[in-house]
Amino acid sequence: MGKDTSRAGSGRTDVVDWRGSSRINKAAVQSMNRRRFLRQVMLYSSGLSLSLPLFRIPESLAFNASVPDVVRVSGEDYAALVKKTVELLGSMSRFVKPGYKVVVKPNIGWDRKPEQAANTHPQVVTTLVELALEAGADEVKVFDYTCNEKRRCYNNSGMTEAIKSIGSKKAKLVHVDQRKFVPVKIAKGRSLKEWDIYKDALTADCYINVPVAKHHGLSRLTLGLKNSMGVIGGRRGALHHDLGQNLADLATVITPQLTIIDATRILTNNGPQGGSIEDVRRLDTLIGSVDPVAVDALATTLFDLRPEDISSTVAAHQMGLGQMDPAKMNIISGSV
Amino acid sequence: MEQVSQSAFYRWLRKGRIVSQAFFFLLFVFLFVKTDYTGSDSIEYAVNILFRIDPLLALSTMLAVKTIIILMLPALLIVVLSLVSGRSFCGWLCPMGGLLDGWRRLFGRARKNEATRFPSLPAIMLIFILISAIFGVPLAGYLDPFSILVRGLSQAIYPGLNEVTVSFFTFTYQHLPEALNRIVEPVYSLLRYTILPFEQKFYQFGLVSLFVLGLVVAAEYVQQRFFCRNICPLGALLGWCSRVGMLAMSGGDESCGACRHCARICRMGAIDEQRKIDAETCVLCLDCFEQCPRQIISFAGVLPISRGAGTSLSRRRFLTTASASLVLPTVLGVRTLNVQADPLLIRPPGALAEPEFLNRCVRCGQCMQVCITNGLQPVMLRAGIEGMFSPYLVARTGYCEFNCTLCGQVCPTGALQVLGMAEKHQFKIGHAWFDKNLSALCQGYPLHRL
Repeated sequence: MGKDTSRAGSGRTDVVDWRGSSRINKAAVQSMNRRRFLRQVMLYSSGLSLSLPLFRIPESLAFNASVPDVVRVSGEDYAALVKKTVELLGSMSRFVKPGYKVVVKPNIGWDRKPEQAANTHPQVVTTLVELALEAGADEVKVFDYTCNEKRRCYNNSGMTEAIKSIGSKKAKLVHVDQRKFVPVKIAKGRSLKEWDIYKDALTADCYINVPVAKHHGLSRLTLGLKNSMGVIGGRRGALHHDLGQNLADLATVITPQLTIIDATRILTNNGPQGGSIEDVRRLDTLIGSVDPVAVDALATTLFDLRPEDISSTVAAHQMGLGQMDPAKMNIISGSV
Repeated sequence: MEQVSQSAFYRWLRKGRIVSQAFFFLLFVFLFVKTDYTGSDSIEYAVNILFRIDPLLALSTMLAVKTIIILMLPALLIVVLSLVSGRSFCGWLCPMGGLLDGWRRLFGRARKNEATRFPSLPAIMLIFILISAIFGVPLAGYLDPFSILVRGLSQAIYPGLNEVTVSFFTFTYQHLPEALNRIVEPVYSLLRYTILPFEQKFYQFGLVSLFVLGLVVAAEYVQQRFFCRNICPLGALLGWCSRVGMLAMSGGDESCGACRHCARICRMGAIDEQRKIDAETCVLCLDCFEQCPRQIISFAGVLPISRGAGTSLSRRRFLTTASASLVLPTVLGVRTLNVQADPLLIRPPGALAEPEFLNRCVRCGQCMQVCITNGLQPVMLRAGIEGMFSPYLVARTGYCEFNCTLCGQVCPTGALQVLGMAEKHQFKIGHAWFDKNLSALCQGYPLHRL
């Protein structure tokens, strides 16, 4: 709470683009681009040691609009649903500028069909990819570090077919390349100090997080913050102890510019893997925001839970990464 | 004039043989690389074709299970081929033969060929394998050239190649400047999408498989085609077919004087002192046809013209071998393993009952190569000495994917049955239970690996 009021000066009226509301913040984020990263890599490599450089993420990435816009749209036409959601958040051109390299990160972690609600709906993903391409993106990569066998996940989730149907060479569904997990220093981490993170997710000009909302046996729900586990390497299972704090720590370095939670159908039990159609509830809803915590918090209410029931939401809010009180969000509802 | 035209024809034919060897070796490599999960539930083509045209495996497996295995009937093709054209399979088609000849061409040293070290050993091996098979001790997979080749490649060389390549390109990716990586990374992508496996696989006893294949290749430095001449039971079987088959060669005679060039250059040691060419051993490489100074070596057409000395076993040897092959089944029959088999040895889904499974399994390692989770591993001695290199599930490396039926699909002999998806879902590979006295609980569930 205290943190929120201290940042009240930088109100959301100043928000010009996704990069954040304050000038300092904007500069900090811009300093982390591909060129700079590679220069850093080369500088480190020019030394005697050939050990990997630590990837340093600038501090103060906290999202600091105290009253974030959170969009909630319902409708049965998923393409229109995605378009409306993005439009209410200020159109894709707010996030994607011409020439950008974009990463769209859905949940494709499971060898499950779309109707089983364990993965993000492929149509939600393709519509986002198409919007990014329309906004002038040079390349849109879609990937997830899957839990089940990679090829089975990509194919059976319908993602392979869906991305192919876009018919653009700029839209790429790629398998995770183990070489691209780079050790990253988590300066603000309270529980995690360093972890291997997928480089493409860190160096993207725009990183869009598209999780599916579903039940999870260990974290109760898996939403936006939990979806970041699909871009990290190492022994991921070990993070499930003190999961909430670990996810919040990761959220200080994995910073999507836009999060859209897919609640077109949600898995209400036996998550994250699911499998039974009986556990699936159709909601035809998307929730989107630039605030990664607010979007999780609002999505939690779809499951008849309160935001404070989800430890990652609480931990991330405490670290000043976003708003978790729905009363302090500017909730914009829509339908198509 | 006549001689000149003959020479031109055989030179052309011999080149054709080399092209054929290269082509079939590359075809083999292509099929080998294609033996991988493609994202579809059924596998299109796999190198298992090779094991279905192998008469040694077909005969020994059918003797072992005492039924006709329809999957392996294509082996008749090779039998017919041998009846018509002798051991042309060994000289023209066999990927192991192609590998050995190619290896010698690329890395070998010229060496004067001498008489075959153990000319009757292949036939002894063959008889031993066939009789043991009848009495329930399947050994064919240990000496079959395809099993040795595919096992060595799939469990050691191929994953090793991937490991080395990835290490190299990891280094370049992480340490080269971006400008260079713009060139280097596409090379890696190309390799990844063409010859490298989709995933890094890990195998226990890969070193053993590599060692066996390595021995076969290293033996080239002892004698050309050492394995084919001194060990290969498949070659011996094809030799038997050739003996009763149509093709024969007419070699030199007394009028050649002191010239024994043909015998000296023969890679199989098939030409004796009298310059007779043994159809049972000759693999039709045609080197002597081309190089004979007098150009008098030719196909003699049909039936027993030039049988040569032959390498057939004496009756005594045959009987000795036959009785020796009865010892193993007898002794193996009184092992503790026969009291109770290892209950933790979990066979792949679709596996037949243990004795019949082992009788059918030819140790080709195809199931392990396609296993998408890398859970299937070769067993060493837990299933007895006749069970080596057969597959079992090692949950430490991978689980059995509920919706996958690939291992049964590629099994060349039906040791693993082809399962439909519904059957697979019902198929029980083992029995799991939680010992609640021992296991910690994690949110009410037994603790999983963290």
